[in-house]
Amino acid sequence: MGKVAVVGAGMTKFVRRAQETGRELAWQAARMALDSAGMTLKDVDAVVIGSAPDAFDGVHMKGEYLADGSGGWRKPTMRNFVGGATGVFAPIQGWYHIASGQFDTVLVVCEEKMSSCHPHPQGAFLTIFDHTTERPLGPNLLWIFAIEMNRYMTVHGITKEEIALVAVKNKRNAMDHPCAQLGEELTVEDVLNSEIMAWPVNRLDVSPASDGAAAVVMCAEHVAKRVTDKPVWVEGVGWHLDTAYWTNRDLYYPRYVEYAARMAYDMAGIKEPRKEINIVEPYDPFDYKELHHLEGLLLCERGEAPRLTADGVTQRDGDLPVCPSGGLLGVGNPIAAAGLMKVCEIFWQLRGEAGKRQVPGTPKRGLAQAWGDLMQVGAVIILGR
Amino acid sequence: MREKLTNPEDVRTWPGTIPVEYVYTAGVAGEAYLRAIKERGCLAASTCPDCNIDYLPPRLYCERCFAKTDEPRDVAARGVVETFTVAHRDLDGRPLEPPVIYAFVRIAGTAGGLIHRLGDVEPGDVHIGLEVEAVFRPPAERVGSILDIEHFKPVG
Ligand SMILES: [Zn+2]
Repeated sequence: MGKVAVVGAGMTKFVRRAQETGRELAWQAARMALDSAGMTLKDVDAVVIGSAPDAFDGVHMKGEYLADGSGGWRKPTMRNFVGGATGVFAPIQGWYHIASGQFDTVLVVCEEKMSSCHPHPQGAFLTIFDHTTERPLGPNLLWIFAIEMNRYMTVHGITKEEIALVAVKNKRNAMDHPCAQLGEELTVEDVLNSEIMAWPVNRLDVSPASDGAAAVVMCAEHVAKRVTDKPVWVEGVGWHLDTAYWTNRDLYYPRYVEYAARMAYDMAGIKEPRKEINIVEPYDPFDYKELHHLEGLLLCERGEAPRLTADGVTQRDGDLPVCPSGGLLGVGNPIAAAGLMKVCEIFWQLRGEAGKRQVPGTPKRGLAQAWGDLMQVGAVIILGR
Repeated sequence: MREKLTNPEDVRTWPGTIPVEYVYTAGVAGEAYLRAIKERGCLAASTCPDCNIDYLPPRLYCERCFAKTDEPRDVAARGVVETFTVAHRDLDGRPLEPPVIYAFVRIAGTAGGLIHRLGDVEPGDVHIGLEVEAVFRPPAERVGSILDIEHFKPVG
């Protein structure tokens, strides 16, 4: 398989309601990514679009809708969708477009406009549950996460205070992100005292609903060497699916993340991820999810992630910076765009272009992960200099 | 072996809905379009400075080259029927009485156009190439919607 590099990245501000349409947001991010690579639409051979359920934007067949704003005019274009994992799966799709030798340069664009869904995207989330066994109960996504969080806390004896530290860290990190929706200096008490949504989930444990887009330009080795002296290489990719039935698995541990990670580590030749991954952007739609996913990524023992957080290991200047961007909790959560934002962040960090968010030292390798559907899909990408 | 089912009512079913509502923004270019319709009783188009293509409805960017388009400019709501149909049934298959004429109208002086209804004309009198113009609702009744245009009618 050919080597594949990321050579450009861009994103819009993440906001609660954008005036721009989804396709206008897609264009802003895509154009920024191309400009940053010194490339134009003429250089693009194929387009990959990532966007989560059509129900959020209220646009049926969103891939077709977004295509012109994503650079898909008269080009081979396809949209992928694996729930919340879409934003990390989209560059994986870009990777295999190129690694296969089929295309030299691919523009990858992810978009979500969740403000269209009225009064709140929870109405659309309801419909992802089974119409026979779960929907009659009126499930709210928050309850389901609360059920998972409680199981995770109880199995390992983790407190809400320990988990709230993640929200405090990520919202603080986001204060340095020019596109962030919710950068804020908070205390653990602020998180604990925020409104209870579904115990043990309080309002500040949760990322917001957002509008936004993100994009990256990916290309084959010979193109990368021509257009940049700072290519960031795709070293590993992995994705995996678990059953959609809650009833036959234990929610305290995300196996689908572990299997996706193992696939990516194998491809990257990584034997000891804790030593070989310098920086990580795990998916953090809820604060406990960052911890849960760090464990699934084998970056610590099961139940150990809260201690790493309390010890400052996951701070920007810690041994393993986690969500230096500010994550979904701080930057915002336009679903597919949020996942790709994490890939953009690893790209900027590895190039030393993360501005005030730059982690110290010169990180060589970073990992972005997203998760989706009914807590069952894992997608992982490893980038390196 | 399962017997062949001939009556779908034999399967126990229950009704369900997907209860989602939306509020949409018109977007940067869409806002200019709807303002032209509501405030000035005309349409709007934007032009790619590099490709020299006029987009109607206007767009913020050129899909061909990704340049930002020029500011939208007003365009008279008048053009030519490029193709049309006469609908005799509604969404649910019920008769439409009278039938409704839907046309794609190419707007003069642009590379774009729009789908709208035709009115003040009998289906038998419509033909491809017919020159038409928009009939707008009275200014006080306009809300900033494509339905501020009641229909297109033959010119003259
Ligand atoms: Zn153009």
